Amino acid sequence: MDIDLLSDVVSESEMALDDHGNMLPNLPQSRLTHEQAYQAVDSSPDSFPRSDSTRPFNIGRQNQAGAVITKIEDIFESITECMLEGKKELTIKLKSRSGHNNKYGDFDDDDADGSGVKRLSTRAITFPTKSPQEAWRFTALLRILELSHEALVTGVVTTKRDIYYRDPELFVKQTVVDRYVDDIAFTLGFERDALNVVAAAKSLVAGAFSIIRTDQSIMDYSIENDGALIPNTKEIRDLNLPDVRWIIVIEKEATFRTLVTNQYWQDSLVGKGIIITAKGYPDVQTRQFLHLLWTRFPRIPIYALVDFDPDGLGIMSTYKHGSMALAHESINLAVPSIQWLGVRSSDFLTDGPDAQGLLKLTARDRRISRKMLEKEMFGEEAQETDWRRELQVMLMTNVKAEIQILGNGESLGTWLDGKLLNGT
Amino acid sequence: MSKQYLTTHTVDDAHITDIFSIATTPTQLLSASGGSSIKVHSTSSPDIPLEQTLCGAHTLGCHHIVTARNGRMAASAGFGGEVKIWSISEEHQWVEEGKIMDGNKAGEIWAIALSEDGQFLASTTYDGRINVWDLLDGRKKIREYETKGSFGMSIDMSRDGRFTASGHENGGVYIFNNDTGRMLYSLPGLVKPVRSVAFSPAGTRLAAAGDARVIALYDVQHGEQVANLTGHSAWILSVDWSDTGEYLLSGSYDGKVKVWSIDRRACVATHSETDKTLWSIKWLPKNPGKSEAFAAAGANRSISLYREATGG
Repeated sequence: MDIDLLSDVVSESEMALDDHGNMLPNLPQSRLTHEQAYQAVDSSPDSFPRSDSTRPFNIGRQNQAGAVITKIEDIFESITECMLEGKKELTIKLKSRSGHNNKYGDFDDDDADGSGVKRLSTRAITFPTKSPQEAWRFTALLRILELSHEALVTGVVTTKRDIYYRDPELFVKQTVVDRYVDDIAFTLGFERDALNVVAAAKSLVAGAFSIIRTDQSIMDYSIENDGALIPNTKEIRDLNLPDVRWIIVIEKEATFRTLVTNQYWQDSLVGKGIIITAKGYPDVQTRQFLHLLWTRFPRIPIYALVDFDPDGLGIMSTYKHGSMALAHESINLAVPSIQWLGVRSSDFLTDGPDAQGLLKLTARDRRISRKMLEKEMFGEEAQETDWRRELQVMLMTNVKAEIQILGNGESLGTWLDGKLLNGT
Repeated sequence: MSKQYLTTHTVDDAHITDIFSIATTPTQLLSASGGSSIKVHSTSSPDIPLEQTLCGAHTLGCHHIVTARNGRMAASAGFGGEVKIWSISEEHQWVEEGKIMDGNKAGEIWAIALSEDGQFLASTTYDGRINVWDLLDGRKKIREYETKGSFGMSIDMSRDGRFTASGHENGGVYIFNNDTGRMLYSLPGLVKPVRSVAFSPAGTRLAAAGDARVIALYDVQHGEQVANLTGHSAWILSVDWSDTGEYLLSGSYDGKVKVWSIDRRACVATHSETDKTLWSIKWLPKNPGKSEAFAAAGANRSISLYREATGG
């Protein structure tokens, strides 16, 4: 596994690579991140087992993200160097696995460590170049690296489709994105998920509504017993939800499943509703769908049910204000009316401070909380003073809690009824 | 026999958000909150007027404020990880004297304590280190203690500055000798997070309390636990000794204040004017000719002052 990046910058190409897929093994930090990643996975006695594996960042993943970010930044750096020094020519050797061509995008079946059993093919992309075709290839590659870097830094999971729509003129067709994303991941020695890019939207929705698609077909979500994939807003011609009284966006898939199994959207004391989960940080498609619901039906209240931790607030903030990275699209994606249903400190600390399921903050949680407090919207006279307070309480008590602390099954339903009846 | 305390005054909405910490001097009460300003109230007049506002002291909010017993120095720690040192000027105004940053990593410092004369500042870090700084000698770090790496949630320094004690997330309680720079005792802990530690005025006893809902009293000289005060039904967030060392004050997550007799090892008064969290409680320094008084503040954003009801 190598990306022979520096063959023209560094005189000996052999020294640029080692067995771990590090492009620049002589850089101390790339090594460091690697070791930290393993350490964090091995020595996590105080990281509690997560019931929900879809959470975007557990400790191990976070460190892996760090390693991927470092690698991408190394590439940017060498490109900059290359441009500054003029004359120099940079060649990026992109590896793809043979047999991939007919089955792109299906990474999971493959042997991720690239153990050499499969035949590998390599494409060299050179910069700068006189060939327009080559220049386009380089630009596309760079753009995908940039978007993936953005997804990693902001913690927002993006889809291949999202990437394509960010720059359709450049990419021309979806398969270009698919191929590059997979090849980049493979070349860097990670799975595609490590780039924070997933194949397609995984968000689920359940509720008392139906849609009419642009092709006139009708999809009735109220008869889908387990919920269904969230529809693409581009395919929605009309929405039909006469009975819906509320919409809840849930961070955790497990909680979504519990509520769907109990038919909460149908049997709630406050009337019928819609439940959505993006399984962590939302992708663009989920936000587009929620945004559409809000613009078409502004009087139906929309609530967020997220963990009492910095990521929970980050997820809610992404729905409400948009992600920092996609600021230019925020106007089409944000749902400013979203209300915080829970979990707040008062939901579990007053009733019994020894409630099962309280977790202590990690160093990362504290660091992220502090970074969030620095954001403008968390300012003492800004719009989210409530969030500011809860973040501060989190730091004071050093305690966080997952949605599950509210109970499962019926007790969760009772809690939701109470909240929805009394407002937030 | 129980004691009676009466509310003498409440400063309503002293801050726009939770008051996380209060500190006293012989004539003033300083309060810090989730907002950026520190407020200074006079305790000399019965209506506790606002005397000074330290605007924008900590942009992200302030979680700890402490004063030296001489009333001339104060230190405050903000959510951004910065510590500010304040001193009182000729005009009797608090002015910022400087800042302390632990290395270049923001957010490392958490709890803080000042020695009686304000010369030494002790602080904890998230990863369990304890540092002591000499504020007179260029704010230099003079002591660095390592513990087992558990979050240092609370700290205190004996009045003479000889000892530092810390309470940790994992229930650990440590006493350090600042003269030798060594750990003196690792005390049999409370197992659960220790959110407050306090030396008695003479420095012979240490009180520690937190999520275990008991107050443990230790003998500083021998490092032994000498008593357990039980009665709180929620996390204990702060404890404070009266000037004479006869009484201990405690405040809890469920808004209760308790006064304990050290002689009798018993609770002699309980107040529950609020069901909101009391983040901080403090005795006012003993005033000759006046009965004992204390202040309590927290999530209800106000500061309540209590004074002992005298028989006559």
